[in-house]
Amino acid sequence: MIWQQFQGLIGSYPLALRGLGMTVALSLISLVLGTLIGFALGIVRTGSNQLISRVIGAWVDLIRGTPFLVQIFLIFFILPELGIELDAFTAGIIALSNLAACFICEIVAAGIRAVPNGQVEAALASGLSRRQRIQQVVLPQAMRMSLPPLVGQYVLLIKDSSVVSAIGLTDLTRVGWLVVQRVPNGLLVFAIVGVGYFIVCYPLILLARKLERRMGTAHGEVQL
Amino acid sequence: MLENFSFRTIAEYLPLFGHGFLATLWLSVVSFAGALAVGIVLCAMNLQRSRLSKVPAKIYIDAIRATPLLAQLYFLYFGLPRLGIVLPELVVGILALSLNSGAYIAEIIRAGILSIARGQVEAGIASGMTYMQRMRLVVLPQAFRVTIPPLLGQAIVLVKDSALLSLISVSELTRAGQLLASDRFMPAEGFITTAACYLILYYGLKGLAALSGRWLGSQPMRSRT
Amino acid sequence: MIEFRGVNKWFGALHVLKDITLSIEPREVVVICGPSGSGKSTLIRCVNGLETTKDGDLIVDGQRVGDPATNMTDLRAEIGFVFQSFNLYPHKTALENVTLAPIHVRKIARSTAEAAGRELLARVGLADKFNAYPSELSGGQQQRVAIARCLCMRPKIMLFDEPTSALDPEMISEVLDVMVSVAEEGMTMMVVTHEMGFARKVAQRVVFMDAGGIVESGTPEDFFSHPKTDRSRAFLSKILRH
Repeated sequence: MIWQQFQGLIGSYPLALRGLGMTVALSLISLVLGTLIGFALGIVRTGSNQLISRVIGAWVDLIRGTPFLVQIFLIFFILPELGIELDAFTAGIIALSNLAACFICEIVAAGIRAVPNGQVEAALASGLSRRQRIQQVVLPQAMRMSLPPLVGQYVLLIKDSSVVSAIGLTDLTRVGWLVVQRVPNGLLVFAIVGVGYFIVCYPLILLARKLERRMGTAHGEVQL
Repeated sequence: MLENFSFRTIAEYLPLFGHGFLATLWLSVVSFAGALAVGIVLCAMNLQRSRLSKVPAKIYIDAIRATPLLAQLYFLYFGLPRLGIVLPELVVGILALSLNSGAYIAEIIRAGILSIARGQVEAGIASGMTYMQRMRLVVLPQAFRVTIPPLLGQAIVLVKDSALLSLISVSELTRAGQLLASDRFMPAEGFITTAACYLILYYGLKGLAALSGRWLGSQPMRSRT
Repeated sequence: MIEFRGVNKWFGALHVLKDITLSIEPREVVVICGPSGSGKSTLIRCVNGLETTKDGDLIVDGQRVGDPATNMTDLRAEIGFVFQSFNLYPHKTALENVTLAPIHVRKIARSTAEAAGRELLARVGLADKFNAYPSELSGGQQQRVAIARCLCMRPKIMLFDEPTSALDPEMISEVLDVMVSVAEEGMTMMVVTHEMGFARKVAQRVVFMDAGGIVESGTPEDFFSHPKTDRSRAFLSKILRH
């Protein structure tokens, strides 16, 4: 019986590859889009226009306050009612990019706010324009501070991509769900699914930790 | 179809949403308590010098952090019966949430303890305290206030994560939305109501975080910057 | 060059600058001193618009500060400002710190700006630190880079806000030496400092402030030997004692 299960699993190999490919494609596209939009939103959010800043803040709060699963359902089932036809893949990209943009917006905004005031004053005093101040002085420093949480956020978003399996997209998690119907060994099947995610996420987790350590935490670790 | 958004149907389903709201609330509370227990044990294991206790904790934490909750949930849901353990969906869900959040909470507590300035520990050593005394009297009281805000953040994550339990048919908030969506073909009414209910929980926890921040800030010993 | 006429400023209910009238001529070096909280930093920060004034006129290089018709960005390019805490850009090398504004504000070719930057860094004694990052430099070295950063813009005026207060004692003189050489070249300078040796050496005038107002002003010789008010006598006895 174990042998049969093993054969069943081997037979699912192409499906598993497809699922992994879907997870990677979905994550990659959404992370790139989300990063671009998130940076733009973060810069505008810390800008001088109070109204726009509030609107972005309210949207980010809505997205951070509701489960991703509910967001996917809303996008997938409601946009068609508004006359926007979309397949599950597009819905997944929209939902995940939006989620990424909102979290990255807050990370970037926090990074910008953490740049010491003296830096902006020094840039002001030497006659740099607002655009030059942001480009030359504020953003490079904000980027440096934002990098570790940004990488950590990428890990969370890749994992969140598993939720799109709920609208029938054949990603890694969905493949596990399909295979387990034929090969009734949930422990084995989802352990393998887990390994798939682990291979993608773990290097990023290590990278985030390394970046964090390199930021040089002011106080060293305590030996208790 | 959105122009005839039906508040009447929502009103009709309100008892269902009320039930779902309470279910989400209490299963989150139970899961968070479980997660705290898991987190404290993991953190204690992780802080020991012995590799025998440190390494398993580290592997567990990394494995949880590098894989999605949904895969973990399915692992338990489809896997436990294989081991002859048959549990109700609700229990499987609470177990998954506790085991998952526990790994994050372990890291939060660890960061809180490690954030205590070395001088504090040295002062404890210098006045002749034992390891346990230092922990109890010097480190933990200070670490406690550092960990409150991130713990509330994790509670928010847990409440939202609990929506995934609807995928193994646990009847909670998201499930209520799904039922309205599929029974009456009214996804807008169903999921917008669901989202609104989660927002209530979100803003409640956020308010609590703000309150605790003010309370901690007003304490005589200001938390470290 | 710099003219305050009846300038007032409040922080909320706090009246931090009281009816300031002060005129600084081209090539003049003026030292501002006074106890902490006397408003001297606020005064100097008004000159390049880092603080805004409430009423009165402040005219710098023929332009009214705070007037919507004045392009503050252009005016600031003509004024060097040296901060107490250096405020070097931590992500840029010493040379990049010095050349950033010349390249982006003055639109000077990079190669020209770098040549000028190297020359200035060499002049402040940092010929071997072109590619060092601020974190690799001592406080005194950082402050000298900051001065070179201002000089590279060929400013008409240099403002110094307690430039040596954040420095270890043994590094103060290396910064003061650079400031003296800048003064001797005929730069218009406004310097908030308690370094009375510097004031004696190069200042034409010392202005003593207390509680937001100018209490007295005169030549360094007069001020140090014959302070006219009780407040300035008390202040001098405190800073000269150690």
